[in-house]
Amino acid sequence: MTTEREMVDTVTITVDGVEHQVPAGELLIKAAQDKGTYIPRFCWHERMAPVGMCRMCLVEIETPRGPALVPACTTPVNDGMVVDTKGATVAKAQEAVLEYLLINHPLDCPVCDKGGECPLQDQAMSHGPGESRFVEFKRTFEKPISISELVLLDRERCILCARCTRFSEEVSGDPLIEFIDRGNHVQVNTFPDEPFRSYFSGNTVQICPVGALTAKPYRFRARPWDLEKVESSSLFDTAHPRIEIHTSHDVVLRFTGVDNDATNHGWLSDKARFGFQYISSDDRVLVPLVRQDGEHVEAEWNEALQHAADRLGMIKDESGGEALAVLGGAQGTNEDAYALSRFARQVLGTNNVDARMDDALASHFLAATVDRARINDLDTADTIVLWGPDLKEEHPTLYLRARRAAQDLGVELVVVHPRANGLDDRAGHKITYRPGGGFALLEAFGRGDHPEFDAAVNGKKVVALVGMTDLADGPKLPEAVAAYLRSKAASCKILPLNSRGNTYGALDMGLAPDLLPGRVALDSESAGRLAGHWGQIPARPGRDTRGILEAVVAGEIRGLVLVGADPVRDVPDSALVAEAFEAAEFVVSIDTFVHDSNRSADVILPAATLSEKDGTVTNVEGRVQRVNQIRRPPGQTRTDWAILEDLSALIGSPMGLTSAETITKEIAEVAPVYAGVSWDLLEWDHRDGVVLPIEGPAPLTHIPVMLEGHGAPQAEFTLHAARVMYDDGVRLRHSPALRKLAPGAIACINPADAPKLGAREGARVRLVTRQGEGEFDVVLDEGTPSGVVYVPLNQRGGVSLGTDPVVRVTVVT
Amino acid sequence: MSVWSEEVQERARAIVARYPEKRSAIMPLLYLAMSVNGYLTDEGMEEVARWVDLTPAQVLSVASFYSMYKRERTGKYLVSCCTSISCMLAGGDDVLAAMEDESGVPDGETDEEGLLTVEHVECIGSCGGAVAVQVNYELIEGVTPEKGRALVRWLKEARPEVVNTDEMQTLFGSRTSFDWAVKEEGGAVGPYPAFQPLGTVRGGDE
Ligand code: SF4
Ligand code: FES
Ligand code: FES
Repeated sequence: MTTEREMVDTVTITVDGVEHQVPAGELLIKAAQDKGTYIPRFCWHERMAPVGMCRMCLVEIETPRGPALVPACTTPVNDGMVVDTKGATVAKAQEAVLEYLLINHPLDCPVCDKGGECPLQDQAMSHGPGESRFVEFKRTFEKPISISELVLLDRERCILCARCTRFSEEVSGDPLIEFIDRGNHVQVNTFPDEPFRSYFSGNTVQICPVGALTAKPYRFRARPWDLEKVESSSLFDTAHPRIEIHTSHDVVLRFTGVDNDATNHGWLSDKARFGFQYISSDDRVLVPLVRQDGEHVEAEWNEALQHAADRLGMIKDESGGEALAVLGGAQGTNEDAYALSRFARQVLGTNNVDARMDDALASHFLAATVDRARINDLDTADTIVLWGPDLKEEHPTLYLRARRAAQDLGVELVVVHPRANGLDDRAGHKITYRPGGGFALLEAFGRGDHPEFDAAVNGKKVVALVGMTDLADGPKLPEAVAAYLRSKAASCKILPLNSRGNTYGALDMGLAPDLLPGRVALDSESAGRLAGHWGQIPARPGRDTRGILEAVVAGEIRGLVLVGADPVRDVPDSALVAEAFEAAEFVVSIDTFVHDSNRSADVILPAATLSEKDGTVTNVEGRVQRVNQIRRPPGQTRTDWAILEDLSALIGSPMGLTSAETITKEIAEVAPVYAGVSWDLLEWDHRDGVVLPIEGPAPLTHIPVMLEGHGAPQAEFTLHAARVMYDDGVRLRHSPALRKLAPGAIACINPADAPKLGAREGARVRLVTRQGEGEFDVVLDEGTPSGVVYVPLNQRGGVSLGTDPVVRVTVVT
Repeated sequence: MSVWSEEVQERARAIVARYPEKRSAIMPLLYLAMSVNGYLTDEGMEEVARWVDLTPAQVLSVASFYSMYKRERTGKYLVSCCTSISCMLAGGDDVLAAMEDESGVPDGETDEEGLLTVEHVECIGSCGGAVAVQVNYELIEGVTPEKGRALVRWLKEARPEVVNTDEMQTLFGSRTSFDWAVKEEGGAVGPYPAFQPLGTVRGGDE
């Protein structure tokens, strides 16, 4: 950004008597702000187009016809402009505007959530007349109305700045709120019975300059001046948008978005914004649990740790480290993941480690794609190709950024997907194919069957977002797509997608059977190089999640360590997981909740979660950022790394980890691409994080090669099973505000398919695949093509149907 | 899936085809929706939203901005009395009050039978012929309180199928803003604007 800025032409303007060099064409309000002069405003927002609706930003400029008042938010600077932002005329104009705005405003600040952090309150104090001449009745409305499950609206407080309506139209692309009626009756509202059901609705609460829009999970919970705040990163979105965590009396009460050029531009998905309630859930595991006679009983830490250490040590002694395996590590910090990676290799003596749940791309592809794109590359591409998950459901920050690029920055967007996709309305080309037919489609591209696709890609500067569109095509297709695009585009950058928390950080820490920390491939040479830090570790790559589960079933792996992992829900082949968990001899789980995967674990060790620990995380583009602690870990919970350190000592091979910060230092020494990363760097020079590798060549580079796959299956119905924003994942399940937003166990079919199946909306159908079967409620959905059944993954009451897309549909009722 | 009959959909297709951008068709489509139900129903607005690829909230935003889009059922006769400045000076408020009194229908409401809606409107461009009144958007100029009462009685008793501006001007009007040399044929058969493509005799868009 800075380099771009330097190349921009500048002009000279004079603000309140001081000369400044500012970028030509910049809006006056922004140019002044960047030079330290804050012009009051209500409707203008840095991340949205100006509208000039509120007139609060009036300033006086000199014109050939004498001084004139102009709105600073719609006036671009030009050379020699002389601006007065504080003089008597301006002050009078500001007073008048505020007097008008307050005519209908109830001034109920003492009972308003926004009081204390309200631009209207603040600017009424700083620029207002202090007294109003208006003695008539103010307009009133029913108060408050619920415009969605998450947002309340007090219309009489609204000053009609249109920030919320513009956000929903321009930024998030779901204009479900609008100005309704006219004149004195204008109000923000929804269509009757069509709520503001947007995945991004919380942003309107944050940008509303008054208390008209408030968030249900926060309403009446605190006063802003009582809140403690710390900046951090969200793990509910793999772009790791910057957030501020607000607590009162050690309880997390809200997250707000922090503006950040590199990632989220200040916006958050509702999942990232409201996904905090699980932190204070009564269901948290607060003390160690040990299984006795089939029941979990509370235990002292030393007992529980000793028990786990004894059994893990015994299995290691009897059957070797290969008889142990580690699953998980994608939901914590890099420091936790590093401790886990080291624990597995050094202490357990195994490379059977995997942070992915058998539903993800190859580890080398995710961690070390040679030409990995940055999020900001989306803005400058000729063409964005999205052949992967629905970004709106799984990668909300990338969704907003791709949407902006296609809508405002002239970037061509091509979407390849088996059904309706959140970006369809901004796509220049949309290619729909049957689930499981990805390779056949790619071959068709190769034959030149899709000239519009070729035109958008061939010889162009392409950024490709590739990932698993569903489970049908397997993890190799995205690699093939990347290789194909690279062969056609003039330049191609690739963002391989995975949607789980801190997966990229976990892989960078070596939580894959064939990786070591720092994007290093595991082989005898690299294992040898690590020996100085970790001692002797097994040099042969271990098993991935699927291999681990199969080996458990075969009796070759006896003990499992789960860290923030719920394979029973997340691994698509549920039959295999069930069998493995039946067969496992000993299971230790480090986790925040009891769930399907650790319900019968031998030991559960209670873990701290986000906001309760410090550390770093690594996002989808390889950006390392800080997460920060603000509250004490509740009960007896502890950080993953500290638990693992104690276990290592009891097993007789202490790792010597002493604090999160020293682990970060150790990572910088051990993991090549992390050299130079420190908390100081991230806290002072790079608050928005650094993208790795910082400099020099990366130790491991993955170049996808063209791979062959199977053709599209011949079947009456094929299954498109994909993740959606709200599911029955462990943390969402314990976040009451979001839990109820999940669609549940539904099967979407095209209305045209309904008659031939004899199904109608709400009917119950049985879906049978080779790997699973279960009953679902029918939703008739135009977005799902005929012949496709769309099932959102991991829903309450649902079952996993596996990866084979051939599905049989029968109506039950 | 459309809630409209094939015939109405045919009209809608023709309307949408006239514009380079679908969303530009929103206003004529709203009139079309109004002609189907007699007023704008939620269902009608949702249907328009589908035709122009907008959300129902965006359609409602437009529909609620203009007072001639009726979101409640109006009577068979929509009687609109101008109370803007010229008509106000000429006694528009008295005419309105007289018609409210005669009909028993307060400003902005409809009688139980569904026969009459009485409303005040802003300037309807006949200031020279103040006080101006419209019945189903057919104009009458120079209306007095007495003539207003007579108009209401006539509508109640004669219940004409078609209301025509010339006929009503002769019966209930006086001073006009200009010499109405051109005699208008036809008239309105429902409370929709005359340029609405369905449900009027005069039509006008084809
Ligand atoms: S609700 Fe808030 S953001 Fe929306 S228009 Fe009103 S004041 Fe502006
Ligand atoms: S901020 Fe400029 S008009 Fe509102
Ligand atoms: S003021 Fe009544 S028609 Fe103009």
